[in-house]
Amino acid sequence: MIPEVFGRVGILFTLAIAFPMLPIMVSFLLYQLKIRPENPNPIKLATYECGVEAEGSSWGQFNARYYLFALGFVIFDVEVIFLYPWAVEHQELALTVLWKAVLFIGILLLGLVYAWRKRALEWR
Amino acid sequence: MSSDTRPATPMSRQIAEHRSLLDRALGLPKLVLVALSVALIGFVISQILIGYMVVSGQLDGKWYDIRDFGNAMVSLSDAINSSGMDSRIASTLTYLIPTLLGATGIVSVVGGWLLIGPWAERRLLAKFQIRQGPNRTGPFGLLQSLADALKLMQKEIIIPRGADRFLYFAPPIAVFIPAILGWAPIPWSPKMSYADLDVGVLFVIAISSLGVLAVFMAGWASNNHYSLLGAMRTIAMMISYEIPISVSLLAVVLLTGSTKLSEIVMWQSEQGVWLIMLIPFAALAFLFASTAEINRTPNDIGEAESEIVAGFYTEYSGMKAGLFMAVELGNAILVGALMSTFFLGGYTFFGLETWIPGYLILATKIGLVYFLFVWIRATLPRFRLDQLMGFAWKFLIPVSIALMFLTAIESSILVRWDAPSFLSLGLIALVNVAAAVGLTFVWMRVLFRDTDLSAPPAPILTRKMGGLQAAKVLRG
Repeated sequence: MIPEVFGRVGILFTLAIAFPMLPIMVSFLLYQLKIRPENPNPIKLATYECGVEAEGSSWGQFNARYYLFALGFVIFDVEVIFLYPWAVEHQELALTVLWKAVLFIGILLLGLVYAWRKRALEWR
Repeated sequence: MSSDTRPATPMSRQIAEHRSLLDRALGLPKLVLVALSVALIGFVISQILIGYMVVSGQLDGKWYDIRDFGNAMVSLSDAINSSGMDSRIASTLTYLIPTLLGATGIVSVVGGWLLIGPWAERRLLAKFQIRQGPNRTGPFGLLQSLADALKLMQKEIIIPRGADRFLYFAPPIAVFIPAILGWAPIPWSPKMSYADLDVGVLFVIAISSLGVLAVFMAGWASNNHYSLLGAMRTIAMMISYEIPISVSLLAVVLLTGSTKLSEIVMWQSEQGVWLIMLIPFAALAFLFASTAEINRTPNDIGEAESEIVAGFYTEYSGMKAGLFMAVELGNAILVGALMSTFFLGGYTFFGLETWIPGYLILATKIGLVYFLFVWIRATLPRFRLDQLMGFAWKFLIPVSIALMFLTAIESSILVRWDAPSFLSLGLIALVNVAAAVGLTFVWMRVLFRDTDLSAPPAPILTRKMGGLQAAKVLRG
């Protein structure tokens, strides 16, 4: 049952790749038929920077602010995924399990409060 | 438009001449009218037939039951199995034919939408802003998106010198994968879901986070400051809003007790209630967070034209840029479908699905959610990045987690308490609405405890120059 259903997803995956390939292929074909222009020159191929020359490469260091949010995301997303098995079985389980789930999230919410107090959620 | 009230300028005469020439050459408006009326008449006749056959009980599970194409597939499989073919070939065929038909169906739904979607969006936005919108290409401008696609295909594709060539090629294709793959678990009718996964909700969450990869590939590979900035902003926003989405879907799973999308729809149909009535905060959080997830206004800071040119696809040109623009519309109806399935009862409408095909009901709901998206886009300005992140982390996440646990308590009471369902569900709805409103107000008090909310700060002119006083004096 499971391989059958995921096999269907796999077939849709190949179509999902083929679908956006189609217009790009047509565009390439138009180039082969000399309908679409292809006249590169150094200025055209330069990195766009609103009319001035681009200063340096952008492959380098970046504002650390974004990574703090990414760390918070990793913690919370993993936590929520752990809660899904509990959510599915919740109605059959005893009520004590609910308090354990509250405790589990509570510990992580303490982390959120800590990050908040440390001003990691402000955008400076 | 009444042309007789206005003086005929050379321009308007030219336009009128052009229109009439086009109309005479193609006869398109009449053709469209005829096609529409034929479709309407066909719909009415088929509905009457369906109604007659449902009442007389002839329709259940027959291959010509067009309320549910799954029936045709089941009959086809039965025919193949009973035709005396080699069993291995027969099982391959019974698997492959429905799968390929279904996959083609999904891709053609998305592709067809990409052909009329841009026109619909521009037209609706124009109506909101009291202007005409595209109405020249074809009848009512219907061929506008096709013309745009043709134009984009003829444009030169420039690969900048500094770009990473492989990574630069991949994103326009990778960005389409979540937009199409997300349709797999959505049920269109009882037997008509492409891949009814047991872990449907988890699959949806996993697939929706794939978009981040394509965005970052685009931003990084372009080697452009604007692109990288746009990609970083988009990623920060998308990952922040993924948590409210997961938590609100957790509330759905807590009530329905299943991660299977068809069972979530069946639960709503059996209880005779939509989940948006039971857990309104989760539904609204899902709606707002998904506008961030798919980069739509008001949350499109990743491609804010006024700040960073075109965001993560600044360096893309021709058809590749067109794919980035098209995928936004594809994602919009995917989110509409998910919203309808999780919170608006999916393909059911309080028993109407017996008479009208379920997929038409679902399509109507998708269209309404999409209209809401366009409405939001026409109404709200773009939010700032810090406002968006603050809203996600300081408001949506704590409040939706608290309300999720409230839903958990209610759900266990619902199972144990042997009350009539309208009473218990009505109580749950009341408690949840009250809790959502109350918690929102309390949390706002906590967040803005240093700010005096009752008196908004007066504009600087009024404060400095005493504008109100001056006006009173002037008026006498």
